[in-house]
Amino acid sequence: MLHEQAGPGLLRLTRLGIVSLWIVKLLLDPLWRLAEMPRELYIPTSFLALLPTTAVDNLLTSTGLTTFLILTLFVLTLCLTNRAFHLTSTVAAILLTTYASLIRSFGPAVHTDIVPLLAVYALAGFAWADFFQVKFGKGKFSSSASWSSFPIVTIVAMLCASYMLVGFNRMLTGGMHLFTGDTMEVWTIDASLRGYYFNTNIGWHIAEWPLVALMLRLGLPAITLFEMTAPICLASSHYRWIFIPTMLSFHLLSLVFMNIFFFDDIFLYLLMVDWSRRFPILSARQNDRLHQEPLEPAS
Amino acid sequence: MSKAARAPLRLHPAITAIVICLCLTLTVWKISFIVPLRVAGQAYLVIIVLLAFRYWPPMVRWIARMPIPHRIIFALLIGGMIVGHFTLSTHKFFPFVAWEIFPAVREEDPVTCREYIATTANGKSIRLLVEQLVPSIVQFDIPKDPAAIEHLAHVLAKIYNQKHADDPIQRVDLMVMAVNLHPSSDESRLEPSCELLKHYDISLDR
Repeated sequence: MLHEQAGPGLLRLTRLGIVSLWIVKLLLDPLWRLAEMPRELYIPTSFLALLPTTAVDNLLTSTGLTTFLILTLFVLTLCLTNRAFHLTSTVAAILLTTYASLIRSFGPAVHTDIVPLLAVYALAGFAWADFFQVKFGKGKFSSSASWSSFPIVTIVAMLCASYMLVGFNRMLTGGMHLFTGDTMEVWTIDASLRGYYFNTNIGWHIAEWPLVALMLRLGLPAITLFEMTAPICLASSHYRWIFIPTMLSFHLLSLVFMNIFFFDDIFLYLLMVDWSRRFPILSARQNDRLHQEPLEPAS
Repeated sequence: MSKAARAPLRLHPAITAIVICLCLTLTVWKISFIVPLRVAGQAYLVIIVLLAFRYWPPMVRWIARMPIPHRIIFALLIGGMIVGHFTLSTHKFFPFVAWEIFPAVREEDPVTCREYIATTANGKSIRLLVEQLVPSIVQFDIPKDPAAIEHLAHVLAKIYNQKHADDPIQRVDLMVMAVNLHPSSDESRLEPSCELLKHYDISLDR
């Protein structure tokens, strides 16, 4: 199984990568501009619906959003130090959920950063589990070095599950007609006309390019099949080496023709490589052999 | 002479589960007015995948290595994702949401899209996109309410003008762009066709 032998070194790198991804995302985001958006367009997402109006009013000011952004960046930077990770990552998870909910409160559902957010949940949750097991656990599960695989496998499982659920939903909701009609062309032209942050201005031409339209039409069932079978990536390295280039090409084509880019998910593809098999220094066995200090969840 | 004891017939639990699921699917097909097939079908597929992993030896070994607190976290996260998907809600229980990416059949022709086109003091035409002026918002649909559309036009122009004081926006047009799915040979293909829906005077805003 993928990452079955992952050790503390790989877990540290995973934490570093995911937290850094969020830091880069936040640094590139002028969140304070959200304060300019008309309030009548605000439909609270998730737990924001439970917040009192005054709290939301204060948050949705330029000062409030800037303060929130700085606070979140500060907490994420604390996560990078790996000190009291269970505490800092929990606060980071709450702040990042608030951040992701805020930006969704002004627009339709997007799925770009959900798995990276769930990855922070996994890192925080398993850090707490490590903490409780070390403090109150019995001797049976004494090797904390081998616990490093738990959050990493869970993150990959969630990434695969997200693809799988998308595939199942498309297959069962759209049915076969989805793959035989003009749906793919309509989606492509629609997404291309909208123009997101990236704006290649290419996709709406596909009506004039029958070969490209055919390629996209044939690609839809193929990609849906790969999405539905994504969990096989956990089991088979051969399948991963087919899955990764196929899905990377799909994401690249989505950018070119539909202006949609899942940068966050693509970053998580790094976890589809079994690094601990390739670099023994990152494996739990090597860690035990060298008698290194096991990963402490809370220092 | 005693006969050798015959081993009891045992089916692999995953195969049993698949058979049960298929039988249930047939039943659900009959009662799909209660649980739509698109939901029940997904549920059965998810159950099959979960059962396959439940009895996959490396996964069994991996789970067996897990202390109880870790098992709880694993179950909460994966369970949360699956339950969230079946809430069919994309916002309410975020980040445990329904995973809907291009799930529905769409066959309209022509494909249309509304957009704001601004004209600056120097006569330059600019497309105002929420996703570019407020990049936190990854995707945005122009609202349907006329008052909200007008308010948004003024807001976008204000954000643009903050950075372009030397050539500010004077007017914003709400346009509808259209692309024919099956264009005729004499159709212009340089730009999508545009039709003016409404225009808003911005020059008095400053």
